[in-house]
Amino acid sequence: MSERVLEVIHAGRVPYGEALEWQRRLAQDRIAGRLAHDVLLLLEHPPVITLGRNSHAEHVLADGAGIEVFEIERGGDVTYHGPGQLVGYPIIDLTHHRQDLHWYLRTLEQALIDALARLGVAAERHPGYTGVWTGGGKRKIASIGVHVKQWVTWHGFALNVTTDLTAFDRIVPCGIAGVEMTSVEKERGTVKGEGALWDETVRAVIQGFESAFNLTARQEPVTTSA
Amino acid sequence: MATTVHMEALSPTMEEGRLVKWTKQEGDAVKTGETLAEVETDKAVMELVARADGSLVKILVPEGKTVPVGAAVAYIGAPGESIPDAGGKPASASTGMRDAGSVKPAPAATLPASATPQPVAPTDAARVKASPLARRLAREAGVDLRLVTGSGPGGRVTRRDLEGVAAPAPSPAPPAAAAPTHPASPIPHPPSGGAAFEDIPLTQIRKTIARRLVTSLGPIPHFFLTTEVDMERAAEARAALNKELGDQGKVSFNDIIVKATALALTRHRACNAWFQEDHIRYWNEVHLGMAVAVEDGLITPVVRNADQKSLSQISVEARALADKARHRQLKPDEYTGATFSVSNLGMFDIDQFTAVINPPEAGILAVGTVVEKPVVVEGQVVPRKRLRLTMSCDHRVIDGATGAAFLKTLKQMLENPLAMLL
Repeated sequence: MSERVLEVIHAGRVPYGEALEWQRRLAQDRIAGRLAHDVLLLLEHPPVITLGRNSHAEHVLADGAGIEVFEIERGGDVTYHGPGQLVGYPIIDLTHHRQDLHWYLRTLEQALIDALARLGVAAERHPGYTGVWTGGGKRKIASIGVHVKQWVTWHGFALNVTTDLTAFDRIVPCGIAGVEMTSVEKERGTVKGEGALWDETVRAVIQGFESAFNLTARQEPVTTSA
Repeated sequence: MATTVHMEALSPTMEEGRLVKWTKQEGDAVKTGETLAEVETDKAVMELVARADGSLVKILVPEGKTVPVGAAVAYIGAPGESIPDAGGKPASASTGMRDAGSVKPAPAATLPASATPQPVAPTDAARVKASPLARRLAREAGVDLRLVTGSGPGGRVTRRDLEGVAAPAPSPAPPAAAAPTHPASPIPHPPSGGAAFEDIPLTQIRKTIARRLVTSLGPIPHFFLTTEVDMERAAEARAALNKELGDQGKVSFNDIIVKATALALTRHRACNAWFQEDHIRYWNEVHLGMAVAVEDGLITPVVRNADQKSLSQISVEARALADKARHRQLKPDEYTGATFSVSNLGMFDIDQFTAVINPPEAGILAVGTVVEKPVVVEGQVVPRKRLRLTMSCDHRVIDGATGAAFLKTLKQMLENPLAMLL
């Protein structure tokens, strides 16, 4: 068992802009040393389209149709977040792990691949395409886009659990035309209570992080007071 | 003296970064630790922070541009301070690199000032830093130590640096007379009789090529199949198409070959495959790698779903990719994921050659030049445009007959371009 702690915060459903503020603040605290542990923020967003630094406006196919659009400082192209998608924002100080951005991206993928294996979904990397894929690199189950400042990370991953996949039709995910998006629910093909699958996925993701990053999770109930 | 801000490496495997956004503008005051710009590599954005206080006196790289790790991107100095020009030397003591251990040295050409060769003072051989053993070996071999690049600490010449260094051309004069009386030229231009070779460190691209090709020709059991194709009708079709297109572009023989290869692969899935550790992945999509010569190497941008694209689409895309490749602007997803590749040396007047497979792909097609030569057609010797194609196959995936069947389809398509419409 590793002695280093990963503080897991279950934040529930959080509007994108608010979660962004949390992340930035947590990252600043981690950089400044006010935060002693790595943190994993786990949450869900109301429907939102975000544009990474590498975005091409033409990758938003339909206008937002009432969906908020954010332009943000993470890597990658455009993506969609919404209900049924487990979003994870790891605030990790890489100076305590490895000062290597590519290592971080690959380890993030590994954490999710491990988690999916626990859920009975065979997932893999698709070399050259950051993210987690199934079906031999044909279907994308999790998107990744990160930001690093002074070796502290923010932004992270979005894993489709029971996401309404038609929402992705509004965008060209990650700028790769013709990508088919998938979800844990779709890959497993089993009908199970939505809540049960969500909880099982959350547990698997935390375990995946523990093994991939060699950390011990400590779960904190979310504090709602400011 | 202004401080140079460099493109930082945030991973030993990071070769270049795209400057996506300047968060400070020229003339802005900056403090150590403040973010100057955002840089993207892969799916990660990192912040480039100032390592010195002052003013951002000059931005060298515009937003959206990709530059190699180590390249200068800006200068920080006192307001109004002149910045180093090509003749000057940028400060190197306080560079923007945070972790020297994980940073690769910049390719020399990208640093404005390093274009000027390090002058080597014409010192006495005795003043060149060298180990005693190296000194003795050099004396015995008649090698001028000033002409040897030292790899030891502080440029100290060690025994290893001397291994393989040839002595000056044997001259009838006694050794004593061989001692140079004139100062030797600086290292970049050794006089005849100097070192027999020059060691140029491998650039990232050469290292990658070396690694990838060794993992190909060594462990992959290659075999080769050659066929000669009559290109008369393809040439006619091309002329007609180009006439039709007018100034909307030109279709090249290579575009036709790319399209025909992609279509032939859809009919021979066995050749459109990746060899993986414990399985073979047969692709249902055709993504065609197209070897492009770039300065100091080659890179294989990928025309995705080439079988589904029109000739003019392929032509436009192939040209754009080749152009990006030459300017080192390809994004990873533009040069990875090919299911089969085509290498064309026709423009160099190569009749026929064999190409090395790009793993995990199972095959590559080597395309020669279209040559007009005498051919016997129905008992008559007539001039025909002919093209030689050689396919390299990974025998673990493709057997002789499998490869031959694919080549036959490809040949038929090229000889009768209308067959591509079937």
